[in-house]
Amino acid sequence: MENILFYILSFIGAMSSVGVIAFRNPMFSSLSLLVCVIDIGFLFALMNASFLFMAQLIIYAGAILTLLLFVLMFLKIRDEDLPKEDNKFKIMFFGAIVMLPLNLIVIKALDAYINPAKEIIFDGGIKEFGIRLYYDYLLPFELVSILLLVALIGAIVLAKKMPKRESK
Amino acid sequence: MSIMNLTILGMFIFSVGSIGVIARSNIFVIYMSLELMLNGLSLILVAFSTYNHSFDGQILTLFVIALAAAEAALFLTVIVLLFRTKRSLDSNIFTSLKKG
Repeated sequence: MENILFYILSFIGAMSSVGVIAFRNPMFSSLSLLVCVIDIGFLFALMNASFLFMAQLIIYAGAILTLLLFVLMFLKIRDEDLPKEDNKFKIMFFGAIVMLPLNLIVIKALDAYINPAKEIIFDGGIKEFGIRLYYDYLLPFELVSILLLVALIGAIVLAKKMPKRESK
Repeated sequence: MSIMNLTILGMFIFSVGSIGVIARSNIFVIYMSLELMLNGLSLILVAFSTYNHSFDGQILTLFVIALAAAEAALFLTVIVLLFRTKRSLDSNIFTSLKKG
């Protein structure tokens, strides 16, 4: 049952991630990215990472991608604003050829390191996750909060000044 | 569902994201490809934290999600500003920093 679910989810994830870079219209790309992110959230749930499942659904799918979709709809992008990408599939093909050896190296290194018979079962609850987070990782946690504050202030400062429109 | 299958899926998503960064010139799609790379890596991190029975990878993934939120705020602001000034989404025409 778990294996069947995993194969279905990985198929959907792979297809939607290819869809992100293959569609011409950014709206279809972002919807495809939404499917991919939710799919990875379900894979987290399959690995018993329940807190990350919720964080992925609420923060990633609910906040970040909604912001992205909001900006996309707000900008009113016409078809002639999109760049002409005539040979993008050719570049993608060469990129795949470049990326293939890296993947093979990672898989070969992993093959020497792991024990393939070991099933991945880990009953990590949310309580233990929180205890780990607040005991061992308190300083990085606070630093991340400062980072979010700085990003918020930076976004406000950047958006405040309205630039004059240049002629193309 | 073994660690090998999960890593292959994560590496596939990461590679697709990096190919998207290389091959596309629409800045929205470049941003989405960056998100894809982050997602593939967090999948591998969670898989290894489950494999090693430790919480470190999951906590690192939580930080990655927070970083992605900060990145989204700044990146989308910059995209909106660029689109307002140049009226285009092509990353090849944003050459204001070029000399001359």
